[in-house]
Amino acid sequence: MAGGYSLTSGSVTLANQAVTLTFVNPAAAPNVDLEFRRFWVGQSNNMAPVNLRVQINTQVTAFPTLVSATPTKLFGSDAASVITGNTTGAAGTSGINASAEGAGAKTVIWADVFGSSNGWLLIPTPEETIEVSAGAAHGLGFHLPAAPGTLTAWAFGCVWLER
Amino acid sequence: MSDDDHLLIGRALGQTWRRENKTESYVVVPPALIITDSDGGTWTFGTEFNTYGEINVLRNDVDTGEFAQRIEYRGGVVKLFGRGGWRSFSRNRRHFI
Repeated sequence: MAGGYSLTSGSVTLANQAVTLTFVNPAAAPNVDLEFRRFWVGQSNNMAPVNLRVQINTQVTAFPTLVSATPTKLFGSDAASVITGNTTGAAGTSGINASAEGAGAKTVIWADVFGSSNGWLLIPTPEETIEVSAGAAHGLGFHLPAAPGTLTAWAFGCVWLER
Repeated sequence: MSDDDHLLIGRALGQTWRRENKTESYVVVPPALIITDSDGGTWTFGTEFNTYGEINVLRNDVDTGEFAQRIEYRGGVVKLFGRGGWRSFSRNRRHFI
């Protein structure tokens, strides 16, 4: 706990639909809060250039159906994350590359557009960091709201602090 | 996968990145994720910060030893902006000026 953690994957084939790239749901309170410091997405394999939308959103239950992915600690001496990999998006879990978005309402808190050739990187200023508190009813999703055309070779991820 | 000779090939985020063309002028990281130079070198930010809030700069996943607030591609030259102003990657691909 109290360290930095990354949830990332490279060379992923996405489903041909709107897709949640990463989803992290904080643990039940009392526990650490999650302070998100970085998000990124790009396609590594020379797809035809297109403009794509990207969103960061909160989502309440029902959560997306995901590929289980366990956060990696950024510093070897830190304890493991309180978040564990799971497919359900439930509290205290994380996953990537949703196969179904779930019926829960999404609230967009950051929306942008990027060129597929350049990818997209968000490093919020300290005043803009996105925090999800322990025990929150929602998780945080990093989302492509429309299928990206070329579905292969996507790399994406997010980084957060637990404090 | 077989690669055409003309493809620009670099590395970032632990992956091989292929591009048909170098990045357009005035693309800036962030909000872009990568810049591809005319050699296929792929420029990204790493995860280390210095005491001035600058981030380490990677080329093909190798730390350049430079820190910056942003990376810009302009006129075929990679430029870094940080607390010391602008620096440009030298034409001989060895250092920043």
